[in-house]
Amino acid sequence: MKNKVRSGSKEKEQNGFKLKMDRRKFLKWSAFTGAAVGASKIIGQLDTPAASPLQKNIQKTFEEKWIATSCLNCPARCATRVRVVNGKAVKITGNPLSQVSEGKICPRAHIGLQVLYDSERINTPLKRTSNKKGKGVDPKWIPISWDQALNEVTNRLRKLRENGEPHKLLLFNGLNTVSSEELIFRFADAFGTPNLISGDGLDSETEKSGNWMADGHYAHTAYDLDHTNYILAFGADMLESSKPLSRFLRKWGKFRREKPNRTKVVVINPRYSVTAAKADEWIPINPGTDGALAMAIAHVIISEELYDKTFVKGWTVGFDSYKNLVLSQYAPKEVSKITGIEPEAIQRIAREFAQTQPALALRGKESINWPEGSFTSYAIFCLNALVGSIDVPGGVIYQESPQYNEMPRWVEDETTKKGKAKPSLDFRGTDKFPAAKVVTNQIPESLLENAPYPIEMAIGFNTNFNMSSPGPDRWDQALTKLPYYVHLSPFISEMALYADLVLPSTTFLEEWGYDHSPPGSGFAEVKIKQPAVSPHGSARPIIDILFHIARGLKGGVAQSFANIGDHAEGFVKIRTEKLIPWKDFLRKGVWMEKDYEYRKYDRIFHTPSKKFEFSSGNLKVLLAKTKKGKGEGSDYLPHYREPKFLGDKEKFPFVLLPYQPLMTIENGSQNYPWAQEIFLPMDGVGWETLVEINSETAKKLRLKDGQVVWVESPFQKIRAKVKFSEGVHPGVVAIPSGQGHTSYGKWQKGIGVNPHDIIGVDYDTISGQAAFFNTRVKVYKA
Amino acid sequence: MVIDLDKCVGCQACSTACKNENNVPYGSPDDQRMRRDIFWNKVIAVTNGKYPRVNTELISMPCMHCDHAPCVTVCPAKATYRREDGIVVQDFRRCIGCKYCIVACPYGARSFNSKEQEEKEYHRPDLPPDRSVWGQWPFPTRTHGVVEKCTFCFHRIDQGIKEGKKIGTEVVPACVEDCPAEARIFGDLDDTHSKVSHLLSSRAWIRLREELDTKCKVYYLLR
Repeated sequence: MKNKVRSGSKEKEQNGFKLKMDRRKFLKWSAFTGAAVGASKIIGQLDTPAASPLQKNIQKTFEEKWIATSCLNCPARCATRVRVVNGKAVKITGNPLSQVSEGKICPRAHIGLQVLYDSERINTPLKRTSNKKGKGVDPKWIPISWDQALNEVTNRLRKLRENGEPHKLLLFNGLNTVSSEELIFRFADAFGTPNLISGDGLDSETEKSGNWMADGHYAHTAYDLDHTNYILAFGADMLESSKPLSRFLRKWGKFRREKPNRTKVVVINPRYSVTAAKADEWIPINPGTDGALAMAIAHVIISEELYDKTFVKGWTVGFDSYKNLVLSQYAPKEVSKITGIEPEAIQRIAREFAQTQPALALRGKESINWPEGSFTSYAIFCLNALVGSIDVPGGVIYQESPQYNEMPRWVEDETTKKGKAKPSLDFRGTDKFPAAKVVTNQIPESLLENAPYPIEMAIGFNTNFNMSSPGPDRWDQALTKLPYYVHLSPFISEMALYADLVLPSTTFLEEWGYDHSPPGSGFAEVKIKQPAVSPHGSARPIIDILFHIARGLKGGVAQSFANIGDHAEGFVKIRTEKLIPWKDFLRKGVWMEKDYEYRKYDRIFHTPSKKFEFSSGNLKVLLAKTKKGKGEGSDYLPHYREPKFLGDKEKFPFVLLPYQPLMTIENGSQNYPWAQEIFLPMDGVGWETLVEINSETAKKLRLKDGQVVWVESPFQKIRAKVKFSEGVHPGVVAIPSGQGHTSYGKWQKGIGVNPHDIIGVDYDTISGQAAFFNTRVKVYKA
Repeated sequence: MVIDLDKCVGCQACSTACKNENNVPYGSPDDQRMRRDIFWNKVIAVTNGKYPRVNTELISMPCMHCDHAPCVTVCPAKATYRREDGIVVQDFRRCIGCKYCIVACPYGARSFNSKEQEEKEYHRPDLPPDRSVWGQWPFPTRTHGVVEKCTFCFHRIDQGIKEGKKIGTEVVPACVEDCPAEARIFGDLDDTHSKVSHLLSSRAWIRLREELDTKCKVYYLLR
């Protein structure tokens, strides 16, 4: 059953060599061009320039290096090469050795230069002198020394442990390198706090929980985009906010015109996104009804017997009850009334999907970040199994993770054990959020209500949750209440304004680390981060800060951080030494595993039945444990329920759809000029937020194009310019996220508005994912 | 240059790569309001139709490097000229900033640099175009009060020719190199073996504003 396929053979040109590159030739090639890719160095003398009044400050000598490193402007973490001239980074481009995106980078990566050289970066640790905290309160920073700052943090942490209350430490993890994240996790474990909160609960946990119900993998889905022939994208903004983005961008070019048959793409989304514009067909859908559409497509496929009988018979369970449910409740005619899509259109795309093999059904935030979103995610994922697109070329694939050198287990003393045994602040794994791994947006409520216990101290690593969460004002209140907050970041973000202490950390172009991309490629790939330039001011890498604090804490924590490198470079060396010799890693910047192996059906399904499940055994087991299940069989099947909306339909007639444009930089440093000026490509403008409304709807509201309007939800209201659009569902108001900062520098502060301000707080009850799309709003003249 | 609109993903990497490579000044909200922001390559959106039958075409617009370039014809200072290889260039030292060429260009490919030299924010002498790697680039620093435009990264091409590299495969402009979808293809239109010639003979293509008979050198492949 095993089938090996060569991936990514593509012509590359690189420093004068024209080469056919694929993974097989990778090793051979990189052996002799390593120097060209990695830290090649050219030192030279310029010919004297012609005298010209415009050429004043030209240096006569130069030293040029190309450093192999990787990006961190979004979670894709692409391998890059940085050109450094006379100690300054001047150009970022892709590393052709990386095969996740075939050596390509997305436009965000270029903006790394502006992140690095941002004049608003912090130079030294800053201490708050103002006693008050709150929105708009000046923290009155004074610079202090690193010794003083780290002593203060270490002393407070030590006190927590001495009092036997390590669980009263709260850690926030934003977008960091995999290496930093692993040490942050280790620190939480060794210190003894169950409260490590990542931003995942604001991303798309419903995708993971949908997968988990079907195949037992609580992870994002990877797709074999090289070989697929048909893509049905449910709210998936493949070309804007999917992960890993650069892979989707590269593969789009590939599956459109670099194979004999062009892949058809159908986008289902209430908003005409860039992806929809580039797709073959855009089908607007009533917001929140994607689950019903997926079930109706299944209805057509099953009733017309178009499904993959071999796969369904051999490797799935629960098909009969799924079939009964689908056939009894989801006829296209009925579903048409729910989704607003013609029954003929549903039949047509269902037939195309089943008959154009291999086909993929993708889902994105717009379709699944809803209450009950886990079931929508499950329903869409099941379509892949129906047509047999599981672990085959052109289907869903299962991402392999790199086997880093294992660290010795952390030291667990009594304090640690006691702290770790306490319940987590976000109610993960309880009957409130049974399958949740993290419920980010629950934290402010827990902090404000001291539930289940009060928190003494918090540390944030590059987080900015009071911008990126629905209902950010709750975060403001909760952060105000925190007795002591330490923020690590290169910038003063909105969250940093609530800190008692800000420690300047380095950007990804100044630090050591290792990284791998989110699921996508199938095979494992590791990229190095090595400093392209020396750190700005006295900024320090997060890893070094953690090592320093751990050593200062002594005891179990210090022991847990002993013998794993002692500093960032050493740590990266130790963790990756089994994968690739250090010298090669520095030069190539990338390590890759063997080719992906398809059809591992005997190994990949982590479900009670060891098969793909149309009726979720994992969910059944879990709900039995948390006593949430009512015991009905249909509770464990993919299904559609009418979405719960926040706000009265009469008073608030529109559904708010916040979306993430491509240029939104996710590393906590937002929207640099190169991105800002081309922020909204579909509208041809930048530097602002537009409220996009269907032109007919807008006329009914008697608005004028370009007028300033209020968008009001039951919770808050925001003011922005209205833009008439032909690409928005008549019942929807679309607003891009990423703007509306009240901190950072002049390129961010005071530009546009943040749509998250007016979103109500709601969750998917299975995964704890924050719901982003179920808030109703009204729009009127300002 | 050939731009494949079927492969293009509308990501605007061409625009950012260009700004990065050529040290093109970035704008500000004010610049955008006054339409003074400078782009050597800009992606424009053209929308047709009514909901739900709507189509937006995202079109990346570098300089078209016309054979019959209106900007060359109108320039009173002969600051803009067509090189022998077909690239239309702008000599900052000759330009008198009269902006005739901006008006004459049917593609809006030209920008006027109204940024003061003192605005150090954009002026980064360490950034390309410098002479350090790509060889002779005649105008190493940005100049206030002149018109600028895309050069097809001729500093790369000239250097490549000097080193005997193949243009179009080994050496390409920055926007071509950094296009993640590989939707941009650069090469010699007169060479029947070049990739661009292959594409133009096998796919349907258009040139923008054909009716003006500018004989421009940027071809768009249709979906």
